[in-house]
Amino acid sequence: MGKIENRNPRQSAFIGVQKYFAIMRTQIINSAAYPLDLATRSLMIVLFMFIFMQLWNATYRAMGQSTIADLSLSETMWYFMLAETIVMSKPRLSVTISESVKDGSIAYLLNKPYDFMLYQFSVAFGDGMMRMVFNAIAGGTIVWLMVGPPPSFSGIPLVLITIALGWLIDFMMTAMIGLTAFVTEDVAAFDWIYQKFVLILGGVLIPLDFFPDWIGNIAKALPFAYATYGPARLFVSPDLTRFATLVLGQIIWLAVLGAMLSLVYRRGVMRLTLNGG
Amino acid sequence: MKRELIFLIALWKANLLAAMEFRAAFISQVFGMMLNNAVYFIFWIIFFDRFKQIRGWGIDDMFFLFGVVAASFGAGVYLFGNAMDLANVIANGRLDYYLSLPRPVLLHVLASRSVSSGLGDFTYGILSFIVARQFAPDTIARYILAVVLATTTFIAFMTLIQSSAFWLGNAALLSQQASNAMVTFSLYPITLFDGNARLILFTLIPAAFIGAVPAEFIRQFTWETLAQLLGAAIIMLALALLVFRRGLRRYESGSAIQVQM
Repeated sequence: MGKIENRNPRQSAFIGVQKYFAIMRTQIINSAAYPLDLATRSLMIVLFMFIFMQLWNATYRAMGQSTIADLSLSETMWYFMLAETIVMSKPRLSVTISESVKDGSIAYLLNKPYDFMLYQFSVAFGDGMMRMVFNAIAGGTIVWLMVGPPPSFSGIPLVLITIALGWLIDFMMTAMIGLTAFVTEDVAAFDWIYQKFVLILGGVLIPLDFFPDWIGNIAKALPFAYATYGPARLFVSPDLTRFATLVLGQIIWLAVLGAMLSLVYRRGVMRLTLNGG
Repeated sequence: MKRELIFLIALWKANLLAAMEFRAAFISQVFGMMLNNAVYFIFWIIFFDRFKQIRGWGIDDMFFLFGVVAASFGAGVYLFGNAMDLANVIANGRLDYYLSLPRPVLLHVLASRSVSSGLGDFTYGILSFIVARQFAPDTIARYILAVVLATTTFIAFMTLIQSSAFWLGNAALLSQQASNAMVTFSLYPITLFDGNARLILFTLIPAAFIGAVPAEFIRQFTWETLAQLLGAAIIMLALALLVFRRGLRRYESGSAIQVQM
C-alpha cells in the first residue's frame, strides 16, 4: 500500500505505458505461433503484385513512356508493394470493436484496469506487425523478381515511422466505425465503403500522382493519403523534406481524429445498454 | 426436379424472412454493398480517363465485365451462401443435420444460407449492365444466360475447393484465398494476361469463365463463346458433384448437437 501511494506520477505513467507494450508483445507472440497461416495469407499480396505488373506494364507500353508522373514502372511497382503491405497488414479493427459491442463482451473489457481504446490499439498493432513482416517479404520478393531492386534502401527507417503514424490514423478511423455499433445494428456496410475509400483515395489501386490534378490535390489532403500513399511514396522517393511534410500532416490528422474518436467513444459508452443473462 | 425446385424456393423464402427480422442490417448490407462496388469502380473511371484504352479494353467493356461478375457473384452467394462456408460446415461436423433429412445433401447445405450483401452485388451488376446502354432484346437474353452460366461455374468452383475439407480438415483459409483469387482475376481485362497466366485463368482458377468470356458473349454472340461457357459450367458442376460425393464417403459424424434455425 505504501509503495503504491509513494509512486510519483512519472513512475505511474511509465507503468501505464508498459502494460500496453506488454499487450502488444503478447499479440506478436500469439501471431508468430501460426507462421503457416501468416505465410498462406501473404500469398494474396503475391497475387495482387502479379496482376498489377500485368496492368501497369501494359499501360506503360501503351503510353510509350518510361515514366508517368515522374514514376518509372519499377518505382510504381515498389510503390504498390508498400501500399499493399500497409493495407493488407492492418487488422479489421472495426469488426473487432463492433463484435465486442454487439455480443456484450465490451462490458468485460471496460472494467479492466486499462483503457479500452489503447488496449485495442496495442492488440491491433501487435497483430499487424507480424503480418507486415510476412507481406513485405512475399511482396518484396515477387516485385524484386519482376522489376529489380527498390529505388533506395536509405529511406526505410523514416518509412517505418510514417507507417506507424499511418496505422494510428487508420486505427482511429476504423475505431470510430466500430463504435457506431453503439448506435446501429451492423457496421459491415460502413467498413466495406471505408476500405474502398482507402483503396481509391489512399492510392492503393492507382497512385495519387496519376489522378487528374484537381482530384489528386483533394485526395492528397485527406487522411487516407497520409495513412497509405504518403509512406509508400516516401519509400520510392526518400527525401527529408517529404518526410517532414508527411509527418506534420500525419500529426495534424492524428490530433483531429483523436478528438473525434474521444468524443464518439465517450458518447457511445454513455449510451451503452447491456442485457443481463 | 420439380420437387427440388419447390424445396429450393422454400429455403430461399425462409432465408429472406430470417434476414428481414433484422431489417435495418439487411437493408444497410444491400445498399452498402452497392455503394462499395460503385466506389471501387471509380478506380476504373479514373484509370480509363487517364489512359483511355489498354489492349483493346475501354470503360464500356468494364461496365459489361462488372455487370456480369457482380451479378453472378451476388446471385451465387445469395442463393447458395454456404458455398462460401462449406469447408467450415464439413470441418465442424455440421453436415450431420443435412445427412439426416430426406433431401439432396449438397443442394440443402448450399442453399440453407444466404449472404444478404449478395443482393447488393446482384443489383449493382444489373445497374452496371444498364449503364452500358445495350438494350437490344438479344443482348439482354445473352446477359441473363451469361449470368446464369457464370453463377453455376462460380458456385461449382467454390464447392469443389471447399470440399477439400473432407481430406485436409481445415480448408477455410485455402478456400478464402481461392475465392479472392477467382473474384480478383475476373475483374481485370483478360487481354492483360499472356501465356501461362491465361492458361491458369481458363483452368485452375477459371476466372475467365465468370468475367471475360461472359462479357465477350454479351457483347457479341459466337458459338465458340457459348460453347466455352456451357462447357465450363457443366465440367465444373460435374467435378464439384463428384468430389463432394467422394468426400462425403470419408465424412465422420461429430458428436455435437446442432440446432438449425
